[in-house]
Amino acid sequence: MSLPGTLFLRPPPTAPPERLAAFRIILGAFVVSYLVVRMPVFLELGTREPSRFDPAGAFQWIDRPFRGTANTALLVMTLATGVAFTLGWRFRVTGPVFAVVLLLLTSHRSSWGQLLHFENLMVLHVITIAGFRAADAWSLDVRRRNNRVVAPAPDVRYGFPLQLASVVVVVTYVIAGVAKLRYGGLEWLTGDSLRNHIAYSATRVELLGGRSSPLAASLVSNARILRPIAAVTVLIELAAPLALIGRRFRNVWVASAWFMHLGVLAFMFIGFPSPLLLVAFAPMFDLEHVGERVEAYVRGTFVRLDPS
Amino acid sequence: MGMATNVLRFHLDQRAVRGSILVAVVGLLLIPVIVDSDDFPLSTYPMYATARSNDVAFATAWGRGVNGERLELGLGVIGSSDDPLIVAGELRASIRAGAAEDRCQEIARRASSEPSIIWIEVTTERHDVVAHARGEASLIERTVHASCAVSGVSA
Repeated sequence: MSLPGTLFLRPPPTAPPERLAAFRIILGAFVVSYLVVRMPVFLELGTREPSRFDPAGAFQWIDRPFRGTANTALLVMTLATGVAFTLGWRFRVTGPVFAVVLLLLTSHRSSWGQLLHFENLMVLHVITIAGFRAADAWSLDVRRRNNRVVAPAPDVRYGFPLQLASVVVVVTYVIAGVAKLRYGGLEWLTGDSLRNHIAYSATRVELLGGRSSPLAASLVSNARILRPIAAVTVLIELAAPLALIGRRFRNVWVASAWFMHLGVLAFMFIGFPSPLLLVAFAPMFDLEHVGERVEAYVRGTFVRLDPS
Repeated sequence: MGMATNVLRFHLDQRAVRGSILVAVVGLLLIPVIVDSDDFPLSTYPMYATARSNDVAFATAWGRGVNGERLELGLGVIGSSDDPLIVAGELRASIRAGAAEDRCQEIARRASSEPSIIWIEVTTERHDVVAHARGEASLIERTVHASCAVSGVSA
């Protein structure tokens, strides 16, 4: 079936509540972990001179930096609502609030002269599912009303947010591919741009006192293999919509995109955590089976611990 | 938001509603492409998208020792971050904004724990990046935007 047919004509994209819940848990755990690991960077923003502030994203409306306590409070609130989002606690409130404060926090991070594009997709995904019923399974909300509500059946209200999140992934990759054709043109595909980008990335980090990938030098010295790799990179990005057509196309595309990111990490030491950890691609898969296995394992462990 | 969720739940089984939401979301994602303006979190994803030559200018900073020798500072001293994207981008923005002197003082404060570093230079250097990656001589041109003593007094 064609892509428009896949999106609009075929029966509603139904899914069990566990599938959307699994994506909520995976995404929430990833974002909270990311914020914890990057906490020193986020905290340091509150000590910066306002003269260096260059508002981006949501901060274009606020137009001044959060300093000291305000910055710390924003980070704490994002972490707290992020944990609530992940656990599905009072999700109708904490979901949307988490989306707003995460957008504020990451916009603030990007408001000092450098946009961090690897944060885009995780923020867009949180915004995408925060307004939907992502805590109707595997959540504290379900535990709280356990005796009053029968487990919901598969429904479009669980499938559609995942379809929407998948479309967001696909469109961002297509935009990245279009950007290479728009800004780089045929030179990007057929010239030495990719070689020069890899060399540029290595040089930049070394001039700043960091260490570049040891693989960069050998690749730069064997530039002929980089031209087909450049063409394949753009092809993978532009072919992203294929992932929405069917399982086989999806699997091939996700594997291709993942290896592309792995190559970028290996040769340029630039890691895009969300796709590398497969979080970006998670809404495309039947995640409830992973969750069911985890649930069965946890229950099995408790039975072994308590034979009575 | 709860009300919005209820409205969405009520109508999501209608193809037109789902289609409208999908079109709206795709449209939002495409706005930066149409107006050619990168932002956050809606972006044109321009990173590494240009046709780059091997002759590139970099914003950077160096320490100088007592005999004028060049000393490496490290990402954490130049930019108070371990991410080269952040450090390079912010240093470049400071130079462009005419704030290289302020930035020099800031780096000097962070470098004060290293006694071998006497002063700091904030520079733009042009390199042949391919030669640099191969370990060959690569510097083409060097511009010093600001220099300052590590004690915080302008040199």
